[in-house]
Amino acid sequence: MKRLRKAGRLLLALLRELGDENAYRRHLAAHGKEHSRQEWQKFSQERLRWKFVHPKCC
Amino acid sequence: MKKILGHLMWAAVSVTAALALGGIALNRGEPINSLWLVVASVCTYLIGFRFYGKFIAAKVMVLDNDRATPAERLRNGHDFEPTNKWILFGHHFAAIAGPGPLVGPVLAAQFGYLPGTLWIIIGAVLGGCVQDFIILFCSMRRDGKSLGQMAREEIGKVGGVTALLTVLCIIIILLAVIALVVVNALKGSPWGTFTIAATMPIAVFMGLYLRYWRPGKVLEISLIGFALVVLSIFGGQWVAESATLAPIFTLSGVALAISVVIYGFFASALPVWLLLAPRDYLSTFVKLGVVFMLAIGIVLVRPQLELPAFTRFTDGTGPIFAGAIFPFCFITIACGAISGFHSLISSGTTPKMIAKEWHAWPVGYGSMALESFVAIMAMIAACALQPGVYFAVNSPAGVVGGTHEAAVATISGWGFPVTVQDMTTLAADVGEQDLFHRTGGAPSLALGMAHIFASTGGGRAILGFWYHFAIMFEALFILTIIDAGTRVGRFMLQDVLGHVWKPLGRTSWIPGVIFTSAAIVLAWGYFLYQGVVDPLGGINSLWPLFGIANQLLAAVALCVATTILVKRHRARYMWITCTPLAWLVTVTFTAGYQKIFSPWPRLGFLAQAAQLSASGATDAATKALIFNARLDAVVCGVFLVLVTTILIDSIRVWVGILHGTREARTSETPFVLSRLRPEEI
Repeated sequence: MKRLRKAGRLLLALLRELGDENAYRRHLAAHGKEHSRQEWQKFSQERLRWKFVHPKCC
Repeated sequence: MKKILGHLMWAAVSVTAALALGGIALNRGEPINSLWLVVASVCTYLIGFRFYGKFIAAKVMVLDNDRATPAERLRNGHDFEPTNKWILFGHHFAAIAGPGPLVGPVLAAQFGYLPGTLWIIIGAVLGGCVQDFIILFCSMRRDGKSLGQMAREEIGKVGGVTALLTVLCIIIILLAVIALVVVNALKGSPWGTFTIAATMPIAVFMGLYLRYWRPGKVLEISLIGFALVVLSIFGGQWVAESATLAPIFTLSGVALAISVVIYGFFASALPVWLLLAPRDYLSTFVKLGVVFMLAIGIVLVRPQLELPAFTRFTDGTGPIFAGAIFPFCFITIACGAISGFHSLISSGTTPKMIAKEWHAWPVGYGSMALESFVAIMAMIAACALQPGVYFAVNSPAGVVGGTHEAAVATISGWGFPVTVQDMTTLAADVGEQDLFHRTGGAPSLALGMAHIFASTGGGRAILGFWYHFAIMFEALFILTIIDAGTRVGRFMLQDVLGHVWKPLGRTSWIPGVIFTSAAIVLAWGYFLYQGVVDPLGGINSLWPLFGIANQLLAAVALCVATTILVKRHRARYMWITCTPLAWLVTVTFTAGYQKIFSPWPRLGFLAQAAQLSASGATDAATKALIFNARLDAVVCGVFLVLVTTILIDSIRVWVGILHGTREARTSETPFVLSRLRPEEI
C-alpha cells in the first residue's frame, strides 16, 4: 500500500512536470512571488516561448 | 548469496529472451501468440539496459555522480533544474514518443511480422538506445548544447551548417508525411473529421480557461479537455448518422489537405497559449494514457498474430510501398529502432534537467527501450488483423484496383483471402462508410487497437467508439507535431533569413512572421498535396523519403558521438557508435540510390518520371506528377549529399586525431564537485 501510494505520488509529480505546474511552482519560489493571474501569464509566456522553439519528435 | 541470486536471475532473463526470440524467428506456418513478442522484446531490452547500457555508462562515458551537472551548476528554476530521475524518464519518453513508432511498424508489417520485429528489438538495443544515451551524455557534459552546436564545435563549421540544413529539410518532409497520415485517416469519414475538428475549439477553450479563468491549473483543464474530446467522439457518431451534417464533414483528400495547411499556418502565427500549448498538454497526457492502455490491453487479450512471419512482398513488390526488405524495412521503421530526431530531444530539454550523471543511463537508454516497446505494440496491433483486411485497408487503388471487387480479387490472389462483405461489415462495425484504400497506416492501427480494446469488454458493440478514439489519439498528437513543427521551422527559417535581411530575423515583426510561416507551410503543404493526389497513395514516395531523412539525421548524430568518443578514448570504443553508423550509412545510401535510380517506376523517382513522360500524356496533372517525381529525386539526392559532407568531414577529424596530426580537444565543461543533496531531487 505504501509503495502504491509512492507510485501514485510519483505519477502525479510526473503529470505536474509535463503540465508545467511544477515549473511554475519553482518559478514562484525562485522569485519569491505569490500566485496570481499576471504571474502565471508572465511565467507561461516565457516558458512557452522557450518550449516551442524546439522541434517535437516524430 | 544476493550476488548469486542476481546472476541466476539475469541468466534466467537471458535464456527466456533467447527462447522467445528463437520461438518467433523459427515459427512458420501457424499463427503465434503476441505474448512471444512481448516476452522477447522486454527480456532483450532488460539485458541491453543492464549490460550494454551499463558498460557504456561505466567504461565508455565514465559517468560520475560527484560531478555537478548543468542542472545543478546553472540552476535557474526554469529550464535548468535538477529533476527526479523517474519524472525525467517520463518527461523524456513523452518528448521522444511520436507517431513514428506507431505508423512505421504498421507499414513495415507488409513484409510479415518477423523482419520488423527483429529490427525494432536489435536496432533499439544496439543503435537507438546507444545514440540517445551518448548524445544525452555529450550534451549534458556541454551545458545542454544542441546537436548543431556540438557538430560545429566538435567536427567543424561545415558539420554545423550541414546539421542545421538537414534538420530543416527533415522537418518539412516529416510534417508533410504525418499530415498525409491524418488526411488519409479522415478522408470520407464524417465521424473522424468532426471529432478532430472539435478538438480545435476545445483547445481554444482550454487556452482561455488557463489564461483568464483558472491560471496555472493545467491538470484540471486537461481533464476537462479530455472529457470534452471523449464527448466529441460521441458527437461525431451523431454527426455521421445525420443526413444534414454528415455531408458537411465528409471531405475529400484535397479538401482535408487544404484544411490542414490553413490550420498549420494559423497555429504557427497565433499566440502559443491560445491553441498550441493547451493542445500540447492534452495530447501529451492522452498519448501516455493510451500507450499504457494499449500495453494493458495486449497483456490481457494476448491476440494471435494473423500475418505470417514473412509475406511474399519481401522481394520488393509490396502494395503499401515498393522496395525489398533490404533496405526498406530498416528505413520504414525508424523511430521504434533508431531515430535521428531523438538526438534533437536528447540535446534539447533533457540534459538541462539531469540531477546526477548516472541518471542519464535510465533516461537516455531506458526511455528509448520503452519507445521501442511502443513500436512492438503497434506491430502486434497491425499483425492481429486478418491479413486480407490489413492489405485491403493499406493498399492504394493504383496498385490493387479502383473498385472493391478488383481490390479483393487482387488481394485474395496474393493468398490473403478477403471479401467485399467482410470489409463492408467491418466498416459498419466501426462506423465508417468505406475502409478500402485507407493508406497511411493510421486506420489499420486504429482497427487493431479497437479490436484489442473492444476484446477487453464490450465487444463489437463498442468497436466504433474505440476505432474513433484511436483515430482521435493519433490525429491529436500528429496535429500537435504539425503546429509545433511549423513554428520551429519558422524560427529556423527566420534565423537563416535574418542574415540576408535583418527584419526577417525578428520573431516579433508581424510581416516577417506571416511571410516565414507561409513559406514553411507552403513547403510541407506542397509535399502533402503531392502525396494526396499521388495515384500510388503518397505513402509509397513520402514515407521512404522521411525514413531516409530521419536515418540520415541519426547518421549525423552518430558522427558527432563518434568524434567525441575518438577524442576521449582514441579508437578503443569507437565501434560502439561506428557499428550502427556503418549500418545506417549502408541502409540509407542503398535506399536513397534505389529511390532515385531504380529502373522500376514504382520504386525509382526518375524511372517514374520517365514512364509518365513516355506515356505521351500532356495534361496538367501528368506534368505535375512528372515534376513531383523529379523533385523527390532531387530532395533525396540533397539528403545524401548533406550527409556525405558531414561524414567526410567527421572521418577527416577522426583520421587526424588517430594519426596524431590533429589535437583531440573537446568542448567538455571542466569538473565541478556536486553539492546536490538527495532531498533536493
